Amino acid sequence: MRVVIAEDAAVLRELLAQMLTERGHEVCAAVGEAEGLRAAVAEHRPHVAVVDIRMPPTHTDEGLRAAIDVRREYPGTGVLLFSQYIETNYATRLLAEGSVGVGYLLKDRVANVAEFTDALTRVAAGGTALDPEVVTQLAGAGRRGEDLETLTAREREVLALMAQGRSNAAIAQTLAVSAGTVEKHVAAVFGKLGLAASQDANRRVLAVLRYLGP
Amino acid sequence: METTARPRAVLGAPFTRRAWAEAAYCLCGFPVAVIGCVLVVVLLMIGSGFTVSLVGAVLGLLLVVTATGLARVFAGVHRGLAASLLGERVAAPPAVRPQGKAFTRLDARLRDAAGWRSVAYVLVKLPVAALQLYAVGWWLTGLVNLSAPLRWAAFGQRPHPGAEGMPTITPVPAGGGAPHSTTFAGTFVAAAIGAATLLAAPWVTRGIVAVDRWLVRALLGPGELTQRVRDLEETRALAVDDSAALLRRLERDLHDGAQVRLVALAMSLDMAKEGLGADGEPVADPGRLRRLIETAHTNAIEALSELRDLARGIHPPVLDDGLPDALATLAARSTVAVELAVNIPERPTPAIETIAYFCAAELLTNVIKHSGARRAVLRVIQEEGLLRLCVTDDGRGGATPDAGSGLTGLMQRARTVDGTLHVSSPEGGPTTVTVTLPLHA
Repeated sequence: MRVVIAEDAAVLRELLAQMLTERGHEVCAAVGEAEGLRAAVAEHRPHVAVVDIRMPPTHTDEGLRAAIDVRREYPGTGVLLFSQYIETNYATRLLAEGSVGVGYLLKDRVANVAEFTDALTRVAAGGTALDPEVVTQLAGAGRRGEDLETLTAREREVLALMAQGRSNAAIAQTLAVSAGTVEKHVAAVFGKLGLAASQDANRRVLAVLRYLGP
Repeated sequence: METTARPRAVLGAPFTRRAWAEAAYCLCGFPVAVIGCVLVVVLLMIGSGFTVSLVGAVLGLLLVVTATGLARVFAGVHRGLAASLLGERVAAPPAVRPQGKAFTRLDARLRDAAGWRSVAYVLVKLPVAALQLYAVGWWLTGLVNLSAPLRWAAFGQRPHPGAEGMPTITPVPAGGGAPHSTTFAGTFVAAAIGAATLLAAPWVTRGIVAVDRWLVRALLGPGELTQRVRDLEETRALAVDDSAALLRRLERDLHDGAQVRLVALAMSLDMAKEGLGADGEPVADPGRLRRLIETAHTNAIEALSELRDLARGIHPPVLDDGLPDALATLAARSTVAVELAVNIPERPTPAIETIAYFCAAELLTNVIKHSGARRAVLRVIQEEGLLRLCVTDDGRGGATPDAGSGLTGLMQRARTVDGTLHVSSPEGGPTTVTVTLPLHA
């Protein structure tokens, strides 16, 4: 997997690069500001970019803006944003561009390198990786449709994990249940949300969007 | 230096921008003064005339109120002239907008202190303006006399029978003593008198304008209490901004400093843990593990030191033992030799101690960063119920409180507790900054 890193703190940037390299990924570029990210993506066409939201010069949201630009210009490039805090506003802006190949994690998640790399791989492959905190905040924003109310607590738990971008197998592992049970819950979720199986839509993504969406 | 500068200042006075502006002020102010005074006096007289009779009382009071309102308008014009031509910037008193019943409103307008002060100014301004016009007369007569030889040459004015020659005009009544020029050579005497008058004119103007300046400040301003409220509002805004900026800086420092260090620390520890593998397995690459743990260790130490600096920036613990100890620590840490003299018999309140401490810290930092000084003196004394903190250095000087030098920030901080900051820093040094604070905030 080819990765570009955009993070203004040199300590973290170098450690991330070292970690990803040790795990057999190729770090094409590690830059410290948003302009550098745009240039590096244009040059290296990586599978995924890890982007800090707050970067120079204004230290507000230039990472996010650059990430959205990258998504528009190079739709095949996954973008994993991470920051010290989770802002609902940022998550909404990011997801407004679609949920394929995007991720938004709290910086603390880097502390678990295995999980972080999993999330990165998922995003690179076109999946979604949302921090549990993003999910809580978006879901808590109270914009969910009434059909979500019909879900049981367990089904909602499964849906929340789906929103974080987990596969059925991963959900089964997290909840310590069998894969079959998870499949049953997922099917129930699809049924209650009225999502029929079809060729041209990913039910999983639709369910998650219904869960998070406006 | 002074001995050559002074005659030059005297001789050059008629050609300075200030002299011209003051003369222009005298000239422009006169018609406004006359119209204003006449209108206000007429209104007041008619108004008070009406109030004598019971029937006309209300009408009379309305006229009086109109007079004060009008006086405010004229005061505004005078204030504008003083600001644009004299640079005498006085804040306008707040407008009166009374609410409620007609009678209450009338009452409030009658009690409008700023309005009555405007009336006072408009009345006093008339004689002052007359004097100011007289000052302009000095300029005119000076110019007329100075041009006497020119006029003689141009118009060939000769003494005709019965006349005593070309008269010299004087701004001061000279009776019959004013010389008359009867010959071309004689006109040069007139010209000399003209030159002398012109040299004196700026000083006459300045003197009369000085009286007006004083009146403008005393009568056209918002009044002491209103000014005080305004000052307090301003300093409160500064204090709020200051604390908001402080919190923002704190967040920023944590975000870019300790938080990053801790994330990196956790990350390298997790990488090290992975490298250790499961229980009982041999460790694959001890060298890599050691490097990871070293990284973690460095980041932990850095995080500690950043947090310590941050905490000290919020409140230096040594300040709890009093300002003298805190300042001694500060002086000892300075890279420039600091001579310390502290004499504070009465301990100030903690807020004042904190402000004094941070002022001293910032001023010493300035000395180290900007002055190029080798020695500094930090003196803190208590006199007349005030805390006076004085930092002097032997550096290159030239410090100004408006060059974004951090002195502005200190000045604002001092102002929030009614303190002041004074800078004396001629080019070439020495620089002395004095911060005066009350003992109790």
